[in-house]
Amino acid sequence: MDVDEVNERAGPREFGPHDDLPREYREAATRMIQFHANSEIMGAYLEKPFIRQAPSLDRKLALSAKVQDEIGHGQLLYRAAESLGVKTRDEMLTELAEGEGKFLNCFHYEMDEWWETPMIAFFVDGAAMRRQATLKRTSWEPYAHAMDKICFEEGFHVKHGEDIMKELATGSKKEREKLQEAFDEWWPRIIQFFGPTDDQSTHHDFAADVGLKTMTNDDLRNAFIDAYVPKAKKYGLEIPDEPRIRERDDGTYEVVEDDLDWSEFFAIAKNDYDPGKEQIGGRRRAQEAVEWVREALDDHETRTRGREPQAAD
Amino acid sequence: MIWEVFRQEKTGEYHTHCGNVHAPDREMAKMFAQIQHGRRKPTNSLWVVPQEEVGEVDTEEARFGGTTDKSYRWAMTYQGVDADFAEEVAESQQEQEAAERQRGDD
Repeated sequence: MDVDEVNERAGPREFGPHDDLPREYREAATRMIQFHANSEIMGAYLEKPFIRQAPSLDRKLALSAKVQDEIGHGQLLYRAAESLGVKTRDEMLTELAEGEGKFLNCFHYEMDEWWETPMIAFFVDGAAMRRQATLKRTSWEPYAHAMDKICFEEGFHVKHGEDIMKELATGSKKEREKLQEAFDEWWPRIIQFFGPTDDQSTHHDFAADVGLKTMTNDDLRNAFIDAYVPKAKKYGLEIPDEPRIRERDDGTYEVVEDDLDWSEFFAIAKNDYDPGKEQIGGRRRAQEAVEWVREALDDHETRTRGREPQAAD
Repeated sequence: MIWEVFRQEKTGEYHTHCGNVHAPDREMAKMFAQIQHGRRKPTNSLWVVPQEEVGEVDTEEARFGGTTDKSYRWAMTYQGVDADFAEEVAESQQEQEAAERQRGDD
């Protein structure tokens, strides 16, 4: 199949491992899914310390379930990426450890305090879910299939995130103030989740033409603002003055790009932002610390090859 | 020969086990399955599978999860916040509710 034929046939769940796809498609899909998989893993590592810091047993249980889910989502996605035949799972995990693998801007920042957790658990997860729901219609079938399972689980994550936010927003004066502080700090990063406006997006055109992406950054950002700004207000949060967000006559939003720190954003996009390097290093050390487990598993598999069932997809 | 029968009610749904039939071959099994399992309930498709082809692992060999109360991992638990503000959150919760109903049928 050449790129023209891919463009012509492109549609929801149209292509799978049995199709002979051009290198351009397989590389674009790999880049997109690897980014997504890396983000699941890095998000999980950002939230993991809060299993210990959570203020109650219920929160600890829910957070550990959530972190476990996110690691699982990463594994599902590496599998969907691996089936494109461009990179193996090991290669992608090594790239992530070595600071070459790219992931979501929001997971490059530090998160130190409990009252920051709804920023990831509600707003960033909500933004991700908005995007993921549209990816159920992506053209790479294994990716869409992974989305079915991921979207099934995410409803719990987003509602639990809102539940934490509600608790803080109806809590003590200090909790309300800290929640607002966290929101002021995180809000511009959350808006940048959707990247620059479409005319500046580098990879969009090809990914849209071949059906990998089904909605533009601008449309996704609009849908997010529509649903999540009223939520923030409901909990008494003041929307920061910047970035300025103006509603147009047609109900869509204009975000004033100059109000956002794009040099930081693009440094992050190159894995060249110090707190992000810390996150990458933290995960790499965790990967190295459990090297012996992988070795034991590999060793077991080599010795018993052909006699025991292999792991299913 | 025993064939296990799985029925799908609507396109896109899972085939779920609904019983079995005795038949000498696959064609007869499909016919008996239609007669015995496809007549009285809404049916979109049936699978027949030779019983000896089904792999099983049970509580004698394995320790399954699912004995602890894990309600904290379901969207429905968080009743103080609504799911309807975003269609994708509402949809996720509906899928979880459907899965819970299905488990309840067992």
